[in-house]
Amino acid sequence: MADDQRREELLKELHEGVVEYEEDRVKEAAQDVLDEGLNAYDAIMNGLAAGMEEVGELYDQQEYFVPELLMCADALYIGLGILKPHIRPEDIGASAKGQVVIGTVQGDVHDIGKNIIKMMFEVAGFTVHDLGRDVPLEKFVEEQLKTDSEIVALSAMMTTTMMGMQKVIEMIKEKNPKVQIMLGGAPVTSDVADLFGADGYAESAGNAVQEAVKMIANLRKLQNQ
Amino acid sequence: MTPKERVKALLNKQPVDTMPVFSGMGTVTIQAIEKLNYRFAKVHTDPAMMAKAAIETAELFDFDGIVVPFDMCTIPEALGRGVSLYEDAEGLLYPTVPTKWASMEEIDLPDDFESIFGQGRMPVVDEALKLCLNHDGGKLGVGGWVLGPFTMAGQVMELDVLLKGAAKDKERVGAFLGRMTDLVIAVAKHYEALGVDFINIREMGTGTDLLSPRMWKNLIKPNMERVFAAVDIPIINHICGSTDLIIEMMNDCGADGVSVDQKNNVVQSREKLGPDALILGNFDPYGTLVQMNASDVEGVIKKCIDDGVDAVWPGCDIWPDVKKENVEAYVAAVRKHGGKPSPAVGRL
Repeated sequence: MADDQRREELLKELHEGVVEYEEDRVKEAAQDVLDEGLNAYDAIMNGLAAGMEEVGELYDQQEYFVPELLMCADALYIGLGILKPHIRPEDIGASAKGQVVIGTVQGDVHDIGKNIIKMMFEVAGFTVHDLGRDVPLEKFVEEQLKTDSEIVALSAMMTTTMMGMQKVIEMIKEKNPKVQIMLGGAPVTSDVADLFGADGYAESAGNAVQEAVKMIANLRKLQNQ
Repeated sequence: MTPKERVKALLNKQPVDTMPVFSGMGTVTIQAIEKLNYRFAKVHTDPAMMAKAAIETAELFDFDGIVVPFDMCTIPEALGRGVSLYEDAEGLLYPTVPTKWASMEEIDLPDDFESIFGQGRMPVVDEALKLCLNHDGGKLGVGGWVLGPFTMAGQVMELDVLLKGAAKDKERVGAFLGRMTDLVIAVAKHYEALGVDFINIREMGTGTDLLSPRMWKNLIKPNMERVFAAVDIPIINHICGSTDLIIEMMNDCGADGVSVDQKNNVVQSREKLGPDALILGNFDPYGTLVQMNASDVEGVIKKCIDDGVDAVWPGCDIWPDVKKENVEAYVAAVRKHGGKPSPAVGRL
């Protein structure tokens, strides 16, 4: 019972530390999780990720904007860095063993949305192959083939660079039709995602958080069942 | 009226014969580039090619005005941040800034911004502007454009550092933005001295997709006010993305007009700003000129006019690989529906 109560306290600390972008608070709570022998994966999913889920809602309600999102993400990353090395393989189970190739397409040097999505994939236990920004199109295809990743996530912030995405999708789907393609960035709409043959999209950093949070939330639901 | 007279009169809110077709953002099409037998990657470094690409586009489609340059990297490049031109890349790519300052400590700006006008491609832009201004007896309206202080800052330093600094390191970020404002003013005054007909300040990284209205008021507005107060020719305040929450502040900065994209509810903006405010916008250039069937374009343009814009501007640079018939439909629709007075601009 004492353990349950302490677990709840630390999850709350992690959750609120992320929402209030208090890096020291998150750092201390994450260390307490380890020191007191509590489950690291539980702390990531039900503390840090749950906090980020609320951040996504606050963005949606226009209480938080991108500077706050970035500061919350920094706080989350601090906790993730402490807790992640202590995740036990049996905690992740079959639900998240995936790999993802991620990058911003050639001609675009904006990577905020990409970095947030990358972080959320890491939270969910994915192995992330980050190609960075201004990435030549063929590099996505090469990396997907090399790593056999199930997901390729492409980001473009400008209409003028979005066009490269269509080409990457065609090249990847031609070689491996089962690969799931996620598109992100301000100019990407559901119409564009459909037209390009993508499997999912997010139009902004905040929207990307929400999309990723949905993914994480489903994962948490499955695990809690 | 000549195209130039039409553009200038509209921006001064004087009566025009009909609504001019022009933009304050990059307007160059693949049809013009191909007709001139150029490669897109080459038009950014040669003044004659840059000017001809803009002029040919205007003449092919009967635009009233033109703007150069086409990319956002000329000033960062002149500040020593380099440029990626993608000369070997397949397809169309706009130049980008390859290296940005990663922290406030790394910022290294010249004491005197006049010195940048001899650096990088700044002389190319100057020469291109002169060619545009002198073309065919100065027939076309010619615009210059500069990124706004915050967006310019995001071109020379990492945007996440800037955005977090705007919340956590207000004093130093404020001082940096003050210097960026000096830079924007220096460039705008320089283009004004060259004789351009208007300036568009594109503070496009500051919509409420990114920043809160409160941050816009405290961090963006004072700098924009300083820019608009420094320039004597017509000057426009353009922001793309979400602007409904800040449209009144945008209009209150001292610009001669505001320009918004398709995310703005122009009907509501017109109600908020009243009939005297010059509003430009607000169609989605990619959706309208690249994706849509040409037969649907007229409806989009007519809606912009019916909603209350004074000139139909795209929300951003147009993607050069437009459908020819869509651009023709856009121009035809402005000519057809732009004969009646708009809220802020009468008709002769």
